[in-house]
Amino acid sequence: MNRAMTKLPPGKMRLSGVARMERNWGILFALPAILGFFIFVLGPIIAALVFSLTNWSIGSDMEFIGLDNYRTMVAEDTLFTKSLFVTVYYALGSVPLGIVISFAVAMLLNQKVRGLSIFRTIYYLPVLVPTIANSMLWLWLFNPDFGLLNSILDSAGLPKSQWIYDEGTAIPSLILMSTWGIGNAAVIFLAGLQGVPGHLYEAVEIDGGGALRKFWHVTLPSMTPTIFFNLVMMIIGTLQVFDQAYVMTNGGPNNATLFYIFYLYRKAFTETHMAYASAMAWVLFLIIMALTALVFRSSRFWVYYEGEGRS
Amino acid sequence: MKKRRIWVVLLLALCLALVAAACGNNNTSTTNTSNTVKDDAAVKETVTEPSKDPVTLSFMYWGSAFEKEAVEKMIKAFEASHPHIKIKGEHVPGDFTTKINTLMATNELPDVSYLGEGLALKWGAEGKVLDMTPYMDLYPALANRLPQTYYNYAPGKTIGTNTAAEIITMYYNKDLFTEGGVELPPTDGASAWTWEQFLETAMKLTKDNKGNTAIDAAFDPENIVQYGISFPTWWGGWYPFLLSNGADLTNEDGTKYAMNSPESIEVFQKLQDLMYKYHVAPTATQQQNMPATNVRLQTKKVAMAIDGQWALLDFASTKMNFGMGVLPKFKEPKTIILGAPTVIFSSTKHPEEAMEFYVYHNNPEQVDLFKQGLWMPLEEKYYTEQDAIDSWINNEAHPAEYKEAVIDYTVKYAEQSPSYDLKNFAEIDPKIGAALDKLWTNKEPAEKVLNDLEKEVQPLLQGKYSNE
Repeated sequence: MNRAMTKLPPGKMRLSGVARMERNWGILFALPAILGFFIFVLGPIIAALVFSLTNWSIGSDMEFIGLDNYRTMVAEDTLFTKSLFVTVYYALGSVPLGIVISFAVAMLLNQKVRGLSIFRTIYYLPVLVPTIANSMLWLWLFNPDFGLLNSILDSAGLPKSQWIYDEGTAIPSLILMSTWGIGNAAVIFLAGLQGVPGHLYEAVEIDGGGALRKFWHVTLPSMTPTIFFNLVMMIIGTLQVFDQAYVMTNGGPNNATLFYIFYLYRKAFTETHMAYASAMAWVLFLIIMALTALVFRSSRFWVYYEGEGRS
Repeated sequence: MKKRRIWVVLLLALCLALVAAACGNNNTSTTNTSNTVKDDAAVKETVTEPSKDPVTLSFMYWGSAFEKEAVEKMIKAFEASHPHIKIKGEHVPGDFTTKINTLMATNELPDVSYLGEGLALKWGAEGKVLDMTPYMDLYPALANRLPQTYYNYAPGKTIGTNTAAEIITMYYNKDLFTEGGVELPPTDGASAWTWEQFLETAMKLTKDNKGNTAIDAAFDPENIVQYGISFPTWWGGWYPFLLSNGADLTNEDGTKYAMNSPESIEVFQKLQDLMYKYHVAPTATQQQNMPATNVRLQTKKVAMAIDGQWALLDFASTKMNFGMGVLPKFKEPKTIILGAPTVIFSSTKHPEEAMEFYVYHNNPEQVDLFKQGLWMPLEEKYYTEQDAIDSWINNEAHPAEYKEAVIDYTVKYAEQSPSYDLKNFAEIDPKIGAALDKLWTNKEPAEKVLNDLEKEVQPLLQGKYSNE
């Protein structure tokens, strides 16, 4: 985008031959993605909006019922509220924890030590493990009777936990598990860290600042765009959490892990209430939109881009 | 100018490719129906004419790889004896409900299919599933099945029966009974254990790591190595006892929640006590991490296990001295019949051929799964006529007690599970399951759980199909 802009003299509408060619080819190459978006994303999104205004249940006839689905959701469906609460609880736990841990891991991976590439591989590896395998693995770790986690607690003289099998500890357990998959965020942070200009560190050194000052006054401000990006991606990702409930807990015990999307899935495909599920999808869409917008708006107060002043 | 032309040509080519792809897609999914439309006229003639045009039926089913093998064998045999019918069997190992819902939404349903009870009845009432009532005279093998196995979406209107019959039964490791000097569970429903007898036996068979049983004063509930009993925490594990104690999920016509009746509370409290008061049953959490029933018994983790009759199949691979007995009772001896139905969708173009296949696909003479212990037959004669009984239980898979403990018990004491009749059960069941988690994890006593559950379940009650 920036490159194209610099090629265009401002105010001049006629494109040069090369620019026009580049534009055309650019659009052409992007066409699969553009068409894909319109056919497979935008189409279903609009269809879902229409369905959400009906009482369509698979196999039955459809009638328009206006905003009834939305009203039921808010006024009557206790599980809707519960699933929203559970999901927000999970997000509030796993997003900050994920940011802090992946940032810390990235800092460590940015050190000059022997075998660095091995460490980087190890920390990224869990991302490559399919979620199902990942979940099965954690089911063993969480096993209250002979799981590794309880063995560790036991040998440290601490009381054992029921982990995902207890209403109270189920979500914290899954939050703990989520920290295992921070590889992606860590790699992005790592890339960000390597882009922090070295002369700023030198400046701190010349002024006699230590590691803490370097971190606080150089690393952190320079990393805010990366933190911002990871934050947005993580919020969107965690609000759509599904696999753990599907594979590990089936939403239990007593709906303690009834994640929003899992409940939506159950409504749609077990209880066949497609219309209601569509309405739920739209509500989540709006929630994520609003949250993302909020984060974006807040970014002007804390995200710093090099070369720009704080605006 | 030239460049622009290339651009346009490319764009057109791309659009063409997309359209072609879309068409191709359509083609594959509709060939079936378009073929069948063509055949339709011909089929109508075949009813009167012996020269039959080929017909292809699609059949969707679930089950283990083991079941898949048996079903494929059955399909081959069917095609051999019915040369004009070809069966396109599709085994769906994963989320069957999701798949069938999607097919229903896109109108690409198979002709014959296994189907979850809730959907089958709902779609039956909406006319999406074939009403088999008119075919009863034509197929005595369909008409003479166990009365409890019919799924009726309205009085006298049936969409067929279970794929196979199943009941909830009790397995046990005989060696552990001999070891402990305890009397074996009764096999005759009439002499079923009372709850007290059952509890006492379970206590005698529960051992800690020092060899004390739950009856001994020195018994250490923190270090149990062998439990007396394990039972499933889904409705298969407790609904038989509700019936036995004269309780039910709802009132007679399915409009009023009734799981907080004193009889129901008694049942659930006693089940919770097995886990947390007497420590004779593994807790729900422990059970989730336990192996299958046959291995539990074989490895002496439990002495008795309540489970479905279908679990018998697994015992063939477990070399152990096991037996089967009837469930303990509260007031009346009771168990339940359960099992999802096989249905024919009304959208089929070949109802006659589909019916032909329907009565064949779970005929014990054609499918090995009955002899192997996974399925129980549906026709009454397999429960009452000695020759027919021998034909499926006279083998290694079925233990000596089977005739009395399963066959006679089924005929005399098995009632329908709630999924046969209660409307909206597919939505009610998860609510009950979630609330009972509090019971099985000992968070709250039965009375509180069941009273609190009323406000969850009551709004979902829509009556029963038999009351239409």
